[in-house]
Amino acid sequence: MSAASRFYLALIGGFLYLPILVLVVFSFNASALMSFPLSGFTLDWYVKLSGNEALIHGFVTSFLIAQPVGLASAALGLLAALALTARDFRLKAAFVALLIVPFLVPKSVLAIAGVMITSRIGFERGAVMLIAGQTLVFLPFTAVILTAVMVRLDGRLEEAARDLGASPFQTFRKVVLPQLKSALTAAYTVGVILSLSDLTLSMFLAGRTQPLSLIVASAFRRELSPELNAMQVVVLAITALAVVATELLRRGTTVARVK
Amino acid sequence: MARRFSRSIFALPVAVFLVVGAVLPLLVLFMFSVFTVEDLDLIPDFNLASWRELFTNPTYGILIGKALMSGLAAAIGTAIIGYPVAVGMARLPPVWKGVALTILMTPLYVGELVRLYAWRLVLGTEGLLNSLLKSIGLIEQPLKILLFSPLSTALVLVYNNLPFMVLAIWISVELVDRRLIEAARDLGARPIEAFFSVILPLTTPGLAAGSFAVFALAAGDLLTPSLLGGTSGSTAMAMVDSLFGTAFDWPTASVLALALLFALILTAVILAKIVLSSRGARAALSGGLR
Repeated sequence: MSAASRFYLALIGGFLYLPILVLVVFSFNASALMSFPLSGFTLDWYVKLSGNEALIHGFVTSFLIAQPVGLASAALGLLAALALTARDFRLKAAFVALLIVPFLVPKSVLAIAGVMITSRIGFERGAVMLIAGQTLVFLPFTAVILTAVMVRLDGRLEEAARDLGASPFQTFRKVVLPQLKSALTAAYTVGVILSLSDLTLSMFLAGRTQPLSLIVASAFRRELSPELNAMQVVVLAITALAVVATELLRRGTTVARVK
Repeated sequence: MARRFSRSIFALPVAVFLVVGAVLPLLVLFMFSVFTVEDLDLIPDFNLASWRELFTNPTYGILIGKALMSGLAAAIGTAIIGYPVAVGMARLPPVWKGVALTILMTPLYVGELVRLYAWRLVLGTEGLLNSLLKSIGLIEQPLKILLFSPLSTALVLVYNNLPFMVLAIWISVELVDRRLIEAARDLGARPIEAFFSVILPLTTPGLAAGSFAVFALAAGDLLTPSLLGGTSGSTAMAMVDSLFGTAFDWPTASVLALALLFALILTAVILAKIVLSSRGARAALSGGLR
């Protein structure tokens, strides 16, 4: 590969991480004004953050909402992947089209339409609606992740199990599921991460529940503060840990399969 | 066993969830679009006033046109920037491919808001870019146009959607049969000729899929224009939002949302069709890949 194309890849990598880098730098900068040149290193913003109950409460709320979203989107994604990899699924094209709907229709349109219906039938907005809405929108992502792994599984293992007299359920539990463990973890993590990063759906569906993104959004419109930077960096660090863990798990399966 | 158990049955609960959660609400928008509003109450009716409004009031047409334009800009921008990235990634040694993929996808997991917020720190009047330009003496006064302008909206839309485009193209570059490229080289084609006559035509399905997805995502984005676009940030989506929330005009909100959705899907399909109508795409899709 040529030096020019290596340089271009590095350049685009820089573009992708530039804003994130700036965020991290300012969270350690010893001035309340976010402008260059930098004024020195400090941990003050992190100390202040640890005393900010509204932000911490918001983070806990977001985290608690993200758990059921991760579990539900992984479980539904698994069902979708099982159906998509079935050889005798005649309505596959229609099912794929249905799965693409929540990805292609703008999230805000989906959320507004959903709220119109639920408020007509007298169902309150809140955590339950937010969890259902996020699960719906993230389902295409988890379904793709799980399907991508399932199509590569060796079908002969399943056939062997069936030939040896295992019931469909036993085959699934003892042969298919163990091979999907890390893909399921990856799907769950992606669900959690997408949930933590969501703002659009929260704006419409959260009601009186206040996830972190909503609290930060109202601050965003008024004033930028290094304390918010510090909060974002903490969220970022947690996300990065989850991404690395998922990646390691995913690699784990690849290696196991090659061997 | 009377009948062999089929896994396709698992599609049922998922399909029910998708129909109730996504398809039904969209259909109900049609119903609300012909209702009337009286004293902050929605009355069942068959009134086409809101639909008439859509075709007579130019504001709606302009806003929908704007959404389509920003979607197109994002699709074209990400395609131009992303194509060389995808080709470059496909040439990396296998170990580095995984790393490159992680580097590419991680920014997607950073919160929608965090990304917008971080761009404010880069583009603001006292941000990174302005300070940099000032310190090398290129400008005296900070450039105000960098933030809260159509420019910043376009830049961030490209930034947000680049990973989707690269991923789509990368997959189709990986699928191109290396022997075709080697054959072209053996027959005397220079690398650039091999690229234009083999790789580019055969990767058009990836390009089409990427454009389709990026266009739809960017045209329907509510946050980026409203938080970074400044006074130019009024969008069809923001209008739907205010008609729905503050104005309580659900029929008009429904009409505008549906019109936007139609325009979006129609343009995305046409866009994908144009890209796919090329000779290479037909070859790739008819099995010329393997």
